[in-house]
Amino acid sequence: MKNGPIFFLGLFTALTLSWAGTVLLSNHQLGALSQYYDENESAAFPLHQPGLAARGQLVYADLGCAACHTQQVRRPDFGADQARGWGDRQSVARDYIFQSRVQLGATRIGPDLTNLAARKPAYDADDLMSLLYTGIIPGTKVLTHPPYKFLFDERPVVGQTSAQALKVATPAGSQIVPSERAQSLVSFLLSLKNTYDYPEARPMPAEKKEGEHGAKKEEAPAAKKEGEKK
Amino acid sequence: MITAQTSASAEVTAIDSAARWPLLLLLVSAIKWLVLSGVLALIASIQLVQPTFLADCSVLTHGRTVAMQESIFIYGWAANAGLALALWVLGRLGGSPLRATNWIVGGTIAWNVAVTLGLIGIATGDATSIAFLQLPRYVQLMMVVAYGAIAVSGVLAWAGRRTEGTFAAQWYAVAALFLFPWLFTAAQMMLLWSPVRGTMQAVASGWFSQGVWTLWLAPLALAPAYYIVPKVTGKALPSYEFAPHSFWCLLVVGGFTGGRHLVGGPVPAWIASLAIVSCSLLLFHYFVVFMNLRAGFGRGSTASRLVAIGLLAYVFGGLVDSITAFRDIAAVTQFTFVEAAQQQLALYGGFTLILFGAIYYAVPRLVGKGWASGALVSAHAGLALLGVALLVVSLLAAGWAQGHDMLDEKISFPAIAAHMRTWLLVAVAAQGVLLLGNLLLFVNFLKTACPSAAAPAENPFRPPATMEATAS
Repeated sequence: MKNGPIFFLGLFTALTLSWAGTVLLSNHQLGALSQYYDENESAAFPLHQPGLAARGQLVYADLGCAACHTQQVRRPDFGADQARGWGDRQSVARDYIFQSRVQLGATRIGPDLTNLAARKPAYDADDLMSLLYTGIIPGTKVLTHPPYKFLFDERPVVGQTSAQALKVATPAGSQIVPSERAQSLVSFLLSLKNTYDYPEARPMPAEKKEGEHGAKKEEAPAAKKEGEKK
Repeated sequence: MITAQTSASAEVTAIDSAARWPLLLLLVSAIKWLVLSGVLALIASIQLVQPTFLADCSVLTHGRTVAMQESIFIYGWAANAGLALALWVLGRLGGSPLRATNWIVGGTIAWNVAVTLGLIGIATGDATSIAFLQLPRYVQLMMVVAYGAIAVSGVLAWAGRRTEGTFAAQWYAVAALFLFPWLFTAAQMMLLWSPVRGTMQAVASGWFSQGVWTLWLAPLALAPAYYIVPKVTGKALPSYEFAPHSFWCLLVVGGFTGGRHLVGGPVPAWIASLAIVSCSLLLFHYFVVFMNLRAGFGRGSTASRLVAIGLLAYVFGGLVDSITAFRDIAAVTQFTFVEAAQQQLALYGGFTLILFGAIYYAVPRLVGKGWASGALVSAHAGLALLGVALLVVSLLAAGWAQGHDMLDEKISFPAIAAHMRTWLLVAVAAQGVLLLGNLLLFVNFLKTACPSAAAPAENPFRPPATMEATAS
């Protein structure tokens, strides 16, 4: 370590190696991932986000929703994600290619949201608005979500009640109307629907089940092959 | 017992007095951020048991509170305090007074203005929602420039050192000074200015957040630790010949732990496998650090005891990290408070306790007199240890219960929250204890560092003669 330049070069190499080994290599594999064209349906998946939903994703980011919610479903033998009805298949890299800010999340204080719009029974916009406003899960009486009343405006009713007004108890002559941010956020949440079954998301055949690593590793080459085909 | 006045001033050299005001500025900024981050951590932990708490305030949604707390803990407290001590170590081991001290002052002011602006940015809706990189991109360029200005002084001290040989403390300090700007700008480019596609963002963000720990914060903590332990014990470090291997192990292998939190995620499995293997390889580094610095675990002053306990937490944190990385364990602990516990063990137990010890050691030498109140020193040390222990244990317990409940799909989320409630209340108490302790540190620091402060009380340190006799 007496030699300054060599020490400096060592530091630089250490950083560059790990960058190349993790980021560059996986970018080589994932960076060019494209839509999967299904000939039976004559459509390519995943679909592009609607504009309002893309704006809603930015609201999701700036409110910090990812501090409590993940957006990734793991495979059946890894956690109870699918048993909880969060999705019928594991999330794959292709699901996210059109998202401007991917937020897989690292904590599940609340449920996963990857497939929120495909839940059974499905939530509709009214349910989500009321959840955001009251903090109470629709159909129950438990308050588990913070009530984000700042996403809504309380307005006097002039003439007719607004079509968007929430169905909650309000003082006479006033109504609760979702702000533009609330609308785009809900639109984003309702766009979360990864139901198309990509080949790389299908479970491995039974004979490979003995080795967890072997089963999982198959995902990578499969994904790569599909990417090259396009 | 020598009185504080004479003992500390006897130790002040020209090297320390040249660095006094710039480094005290860095330290006072650091402690101020630490207190503020404690307030936010308390709010965030209350929100976990009482979702309605401050929910109406758009500035303090749970997500934003967590983002602000994390940002100012790392870029406010850890960066300022870590840089101050790294520069101090480099100055002392370089053998000449720090040069370019005006750059330190200018850089510190710019850095803290940038962090403040970034904080306002998060509060008003510009958070990036990327772990450890929450500050909006418009302040990040200013942060890089400010960091460079502060680091100039350290680089000059390293390049102009009087001795040909170098010490482990210097390697770690220089590595931290150099690597952060690269890491930070690379992450900004990949995630904010010209974002990579899809889940590559998760991979790049994982590489960055693990790099912040292994390439920046861990070296910043180890630099003062490797300096202070031999100073206090007065002995050569045992197994020191392994220290270079351990250093390079941390730097080379550390960056490969990037996929640590992507186990089972929508990325190729090799990324996670590589990270799991790297976490295990890093155990070599943690083991050597423990062997090198085990002499510090003996009896000593509050300062050296804090460093020793911090080192223990550092090593233990590495062990927990490598264990919870394995897929079978991760199936339970992933996405739970166990991960928060591991992070707190490393950041609060490892990094922060070592830095507390180093601050208690360095400040009297910088200002030329002992701490204003020895009672406050002991009280803060006690509260910090109690708080860290309570926090880590409560989060571990909450997370373990949470992980097992989540595996059973019949247990609903409200039921899981009810099971964790007791432990999360303990975590609230722990945050309160930590905040109180840090307030004491802030008061004591101001009383000590202010030029007009009255004569100091008792000296919590061992007589300096025993330390200085064995200057490395």
